[in-house]
Amino acid sequence: MSEKYIKTVKIISFCIALILMIMAGRAFYEHRYFKGAIVLSPGVTEVKKLSDYFSPLEGTANDCNIYILDSGNPGGTVMVLGGTHPEEPGANLAAQVLVENAQLEKGRLIVVIWANRSASTVSRPGDAYPQFYHISTDWGVKKFRMGDRWANPLDSWPDPEVYVNYPSRQLLAYMDIRNLNRTWPGKADGALVERTCYAFIELIKEEKVGLFIDLHEAELEYPVISTIVANQNAQEIAAMVSMILTAFEFKRPIGMEFSPPSLHGLSHREVGDYSDALSLLFEAPEPFLDRVRGITDEHLLLTGKDPFVMKAGEYGLLYEKIDEEGWPIDVRVGRHCSTILQSVQTYSEMYPDKVVAISKVPRYAEVIENGVGHYFYDPDEAPTDRVVYE
Amino acid sequence: MFIHAGMILVVMAVTFAVAKLLKLTIELSMFVAAIAGALAHGAGIPVRHIVDGAFTYYDVCLIFITATFFMNLLKEAGGVTYIIRGIITTFHRQRFVCLLLLTLVLLIPGALTGSGAVTVLIMGTMVGNVLTYMGISETRTAAIIFLCAAMSAAAPPINLWAMMAAAGSNMPYVGFMQPLLIITVSGALLSMFILGWKGKAVDLEKALKELPTPPEKMNFLRVIIPFLVFFALVLAGRIWPFQMPILGLPLMFLISAFAVFLISPKKLPLLEIASTTIRQLIPLVGIMIVVGVLIQIMALSGARGLISLGVVTLPLTVLFAALWLILPWSEGLVQYAAAPLLGVPLILLFNMKGLNPVIALSAMAVMWPLGDCLPPTAVVGRATVIELKYKGSYYGEFVKTCLIPMLIILFVCTLFIIFSKQLSFLVG
Repeated sequence: MSEKYIKTVKIISFCIALILMIMAGRAFYEHRYFKGAIVLSPGVTEVKKLSDYFSPLEGTANDCNIYILDSGNPGGTVMVLGGTHPEEPGANLAAQVLVENAQLEKGRLIVVIWANRSASTVSRPGDAYPQFYHISTDWGVKKFRMGDRWANPLDSWPDPEVYVNYPSRQLLAYMDIRNLNRTWPGKADGALVERTCYAFIELIKEEKVGLFIDLHEAELEYPVISTIVANQNAQEIAAMVSMILTAFEFKRPIGMEFSPPSLHGLSHREVGDYSDALSLLFEAPEPFLDRVRGITDEHLLLTGKDPFVMKAGEYGLLYEKIDEEGWPIDVRVGRHCSTILQSVQTYSEMYPDKVVAISKVPRYAEVIENGVGHYFYDPDEAPTDRVVYE
Repeated sequence: MFIHAGMILVVMAVTFAVAKLLKLTIELSMFVAAIAGALAHGAGIPVRHIVDGAFTYYDVCLIFITATFFMNLLKEAGGVTYIIRGIITTFHRQRFVCLLLLTLVLLIPGALTGSGAVTVLIMGTMVGNVLTYMGISETRTAAIIFLCAAMSAAAPPINLWAMMAAAGSNMPYVGFMQPLLIITVSGALLSMFILGWKGKAVDLEKALKELPTPPEKMNFLRVIIPFLVFFALVLAGRIWPFQMPILGLPLMFLISAFAVFLISPKKLPLLEIASTTIRQLIPLVGIMIVVGVLIQIMALSGARGLISLGVVTLPLTVLFAALWLILPWSEGLVQYAAAPLLGVPLILLFNMKGLNPVIALSAMAVMWPLGDCLPPTAVVGRATVIELKYKGSYYGEFVKTCLIPMLIILFVCTLFIIFSKQLSFLVG
């Protein structure tokens, strides 16, 4: 091959690479800097930043919004965390339903939509996630950002050789230093996500949170699914909620399990151990996350219908059932909404001096009937001081 | 969807085969196959997915490059020659000790970098020469170098197959040290002694004359200090994790490389060695990048799911009986892509069936690199015969000679998978 020919091939290859970089760069930029509008419910009395509780977070990707709904009446305080893993949209959508709809009769509700905001700004290489998904509302189609399980390496890099959880010293996979549900209770001078968890613990203590709820979704191949994982301090609530919802509300049961005392870094363990809050974690099924899934696209993400996952179910390889109806986003968000409401109600009954009464939040059957989009409002129609961006 | 995903797989396989027939490199053939798969899926040329996928193993590539740079500096400084000459001078009358130490020396580069090719490039020629001075035939020498290189790639701390499969199944890459160490060290020793035990006494004079001479001031301390720096950094991160700044493996290797540079008895041309390292690694880094793209397109189109489903729905007994064939062949076919493709669903399946996932994955991660002498890629096998200037027949002699130790290692790995639950105590 002549020198001239090789040079030409090199120049052409370089140009192709440059074009690919520019085109992909635009897509990555649009994804990272996308701002989703949140229309505040009349119940939202204050929007703070996480850095208000721990100033070193100010200006970082994880300085997320903290929505406070205060009834003005005495009672307890409940905190709901969405977006711990932004690849689990049922969690952040349920949190957003609370922010756009909830009104408080007693006590206070604190909601976070994007707990690991940095992880919402990146897709997972090798897994072909869509960058955005769209949900039909009563006023048009609303666009949401799809994220990953781990914070964006652009915000937290490099990873250690192995991640050692603070202060338990439990060894975890190196990338889990960017996983918000492995870094509890956090570390003030740690990596970004460790500092984020530290800030949340500060928030929980400062706001005297009595009940803490962390929302998740899981693949059907994963044993911890369709369940409430409870710290020992919240096991009675979890058991009661699981029984009530399974008996009276859900088509498929929701279980309950104890947070293993030796498994560190997870919210259901550490929030309960390092604060006075009772700690719960909810899991809803998300077939999109299964490794045996078929075509990876927005359709699967939102409908939860997949023949490959169904086939795996026929072979007894799943921990949750799936049929032609799949696990649509409305069902997943509906389960989270009802589980939150039932947990708050049970908590209020068990602790009469810490009652929290929430209204205007749809339950399971309502979300399925109306679609989750029905509970998101048009930012163009709302007063500008009632619209915030994430 | 089954037909759609099946068609995508057929399109990819045919495109790959045609590209190979047209003499495209393995990396370009895989890339073209990925593009063809995306087109057949109806996604056009999905630029964002191509670039996203290309970054799948970015961290692994950085480790790969910096670790190889470290080993190349050590080689250039004369450290590798010093060790080889030291072994042969001291132990030339004790064949057992000599073979034992040569095996351990062969294991180090791959263990640190996760690449058998690096072992061949850095140690292959020198150890190969020593083995021939010990009366071992050229074919057996090549087979020993390849098998030890394969075991070195699988040896801890860096096993790319286990790392990729663990990451894909949300499993920490923790606890692999002991099982990997036991299987790989036994496998390497087994290969060395089966193929190299018979021979003649070392002709010390001839060996020392022909081996390169290290710089005069090179000594054991100068060789060992950079390794001590590396392991000290790793250990410090584990002993004082909350006080140590996060360095990451690539920077640890660079700091160790700097230690080589500082204490080398001769001035090292850093830029030249860096360029050589990148040139050496272009095919391997290229494969890692393209495998990421391929996996992304397969996930996008459902082809990955179909393969995963096909594997996990096989009866366990069939899997146990066939893995020793499937894994090496998949490595020969798609290199590291085999780990996320087959490893992840297998680990999820084994976990569900009550096997120990760490032990099972460790065993599988030793079986994969043995396929690096098989077609169509045969990267490490080809590197071995090229480096050693081997003249014999590739399949008829070289691969055939590798077969017996390979089959024994594969059998041991299969036992590790079947009895992984009983071997759980090995997980550190």
